[in-house]
Amino acid sequence: MTMTRLTRGAWAAPGTSLEFKTGNWRSTERPVHAHAKAPCHAACPAGEDQQAWFAKLQEGQPQQAWRALVHANPLPAITGRVCPHPCETACNRAALDGALAIHNVERWLGDEAVARGWAYPVDTPAPDAPRVAIVGAGPGGLSAAYHCVRLGLNAALFEAAPEAGGLLRSAIPPTRLPRDTLDAELGRLLALPGITLNLRARLGRDVTLDGLRDAFGAVILSPGCELPKPWSVRGAVPADLHDGLHLLRDFMDHGALPDAARGDVIVHGGGNTAMDICRIMKRAGANRVTLITASALPGPNTARDDLINVVPRELEEALEEGIEVIEHATVSRLIMKGSRVTGVEIVSLRKEPGPDGRKRRVEFEGTERVLPVDMVVPCVGEQVSPDGFEGVLDGAYFWPDDAWGRLREDGVFAIGDARGNRGTVAAAIGDGRLAAQAVAARLLGGDAPVADLRPERGVAGLNTAYYPAMRRTAVAKLPVAKRGFETEIEGGLSRAEAMAEAERCLSCGNCLACDNCWTMCPDSAVIKTVEAATDGSHYVFDLDYCKGCGLCAQECPTGYIQMVAETG
Amino acid sequence: MVQDSTRLNGLRAKHGRPPAGPHEPQAAPSTLRQGQPRFRGLEAGHRACQGCGEALAARIVMENAGPDVMVANATGCLEVFTTPWPQSAWRVPWMHSLFENAAAIASGMEAALKARGRNTKVLAFGGDGGTYDIGFQALSGMLERHHDVLYVCYDNEAYMNTGIQRSSSTPHAASTTTSPAGKERMGKRHLKKDLLSIIAAHHIPYAASASVAYPADLARKVRYAMGIEGPTFLVVHSPCPLGWRHASALTVEVARRAVECGLFPLVELERGALTNIMPIRTPRPVVDYLELQGRFAHLFDETDTRAIEERDHLQALADHNILTYGLAGTGDDPVDTTGIAHVRRGGPLAERT
Repeated sequence: MTMTRLTRGAWAAPGTSLEFKTGNWRSTERPVHAHAKAPCHAACPAGEDQQAWFAKLQEGQPQQAWRALVHANPLPAITGRVCPHPCETACNRAALDGALAIHNVERWLGDEAVARGWAYPVDTPAPDAPRVAIVGAGPGGLSAAYHCVRLGLNAALFEAAPEAGGLLRSAIPPTRLPRDTLDAELGRLLALPGITLNLRARLGRDVTLDGLRDAFGAVILSPGCELPKPWSVRGAVPADLHDGLHLLRDFMDHGALPDAARGDVIVHGGGNTAMDICRIMKRAGANRVTLITASALPGPNTARDDLINVVPRELEEALEEGIEVIEHATVSRLIMKGSRVTGVEIVSLRKEPGPDGRKRRVEFEGTERVLPVDMVVPCVGEQVSPDGFEGVLDGAYFWPDDAWGRLREDGVFAIGDARGNRGTVAAAIGDGRLAAQAVAARLLGGDAPVADLRPERGVAGLNTAYYPAMRRTAVAKLPVAKRGFETEIEGGLSRAEAMAEAERCLSCGNCLACDNCWTMCPDSAVIKTVEAATDGSHYVFDLDYCKGCGLCAQECPTGYIQMVAETG
Repeated sequence: MVQDSTRLNGLRAKHGRPPAGPHEPQAAPSTLRQGQPRFRGLEAGHRACQGCGEALAARIVMENAGPDVMVANATGCLEVFTTPWPQSAWRVPWMHSLFENAAAIASGMEAALKARGRNTKVLAFGGDGGTYDIGFQALSGMLERHHDVLYVCYDNEAYMNTGIQRSSSTPHAASTTTSPAGKERMGKRHLKKDLLSIIAAHHIPYAASASVAYPADLARKVRYAMGIEGPTFLVVHSPCPLGWRHASALTVEVARRAVECGLFPLVELERGALTNIMPIRTPRPVVDYLELQGRFAHLFDETDTRAIEERDHLQALADHNILTYGLAGTGDDPVDTTGIAHVRRGGPLAERT
């Protein structure tokens, strides 16, 4: 250190206070940039980072947004239509002025990619790259195939049906998912080099699991659930029983329902298939359709785990169309005339925690009532068709050990609905991505994938004073009178609407580059950079001068700046 | 003037400002700090407390006033924490005056510069003690003589530098070391001096109030004042975590609530007439502002009827401001108390529209 010689009348040179490092005043906390998960991302079964692709839209780059989206989910035009969008339920903006219309924008991006022919951001895998067998070309299998190719593997799909699509084709009516949309997006995915599709190849009949294990580096099982769960009421089963999934398939194949479906119908269940069959029967001329569900309709006091597990807008539309719902109830007795059903007795239920912690259903004695009906349609779920999976199935489903779907059999992975506790297209797509990551690590070397343990940034971590109020974009819906069996019910967004909706994204837990920290630091300890800093933001903390006041963290709109304990 | 543009370019080169145009060569900054896209008139390394509202306000004022400025600074926190000799946080010519004569010194600086044919703008800075109380006479003289000076008062509502003594700017019912809350009184007995009306009565071209909670608004007011030849005056509400006894992280939040409840109205007066106000979109109750600060903690003793009375009194004062200045907003306005803070990806929303 050079001695400064001071004389009478000397003056301080400009900016010399920089020699005094006020950073050593920090005693307890210092600011850090902390990327956190936005709640939409944390809630997405497909693993999409909605915040990341909304950021690209906010920058005015739809194609980049789509590329960020298909990094996780290759089928946005489809999920934008069929997903129950838990992202919107989780959206922090719901506490302000309504959740973002995430599914509408996702759908717009998917449609835009198809219309403009944006190429999937994947390279052709080397011809001698390891090959992966994927059983079942439903959403899970297709996602697994796409991610295998994206990670440099060749994928061979084995599908029992004559067309790819799985339940997207067999169980989702065109009013929710138009067939040309489905064909266009699947066609683009299946045309990717590195994916081969073997149709009419059923496991147990045309191929065997052992054969696949011998011929391929790894096998991903994505057979879905084809068999309805057995249903009876205290042992009684009507002679002319049709389960919901088969009715739906038959109706979509032949366009006809049994005669009894013209009268009073009771549907017993509480999922999307139940909802679809209710609506189709009503539109096909049923006198009265009543859904009996053990779950609850959405209300201000409905517990999350008690809520009926259907796409929220589907439920809204069903109620508009005159479907009656009896919540918290089950069928307790069938009233038969010979072997035909003429009525059902229903009883109210309550969910209460059992001794093992899981909710169990308790019937209320004295709440039984009888409804006259012409037909009862059970829709209580499906299970895996066991052909070809002997010894691998555990009960009705696969129960892999981890999120990546690893089964006890070496090199075999199980994904999608066949995993018993899944149940959405998005979950199958997410499973496909995770299994492909584990397979790629296994076949190409490299580290095994690890779970993303970043914290989630809830609404309490935001400073909402900095966000302008903007109403959620409403989309047009087909009026009830015009709803048929082909025309899609929910309308789409225009480009301007999609871009405007993207402006509503709060960027929870991720830098918005709003300059607040830079503008509001009293100590000029936040430095702005032209190039992105190493953490992806445009700011760095100059800890030589930061006094640790916490103002930047307090005024950061997104919660991207956090105060952490000073170390050392 | 040719001479001035040469000087301006010299200053730009010295302070590392971005070039005026693509034709002007510019050396690459050697550190990130030197490459900041704003004028760093008040640098880091100053000794202000954590979360100092005054340091923040002064930094924003310098960014928007500089670089061709000179500063006369009254005694007070700002002077003390920026210039512990032999160091200075200022990167412009800066002169320390006494408590009472910053405006007089600024007047002399302005006259001298004028005599030498220079256009350099003179700024005078003071705290509320040096402005509302001790330097008030000199300030009045400077305004009356119509010096081309921008006077900025950083209002933290007490003599913070000397140990939190009440000033004529201290709000009613605030507890300070010389107006302690206790058996006899609920903090300061008197009302906050309405300085802006007195300033405006000098019929100067521009007088305005601003707040650190709204940097964009403060920046606009500084720039507007810089463009006026003649005396201009700004009072900037600058919370003091130490004296107001709130967490250092809450400086901006406290300042925001002061504006939103109506206790600190943001107004602009030209030639003595009210010409603009910042509308309050959703007025907040005064208690929202009071509850964050220890200097008002005695007003939350629910067993003391005087506390309830004083809270009602402060609410009435805020309501009076809202009524007198017409602060109540009519519908959403992009520059009202809610709209002006809004951001979008890439910066403040207001800068884009």
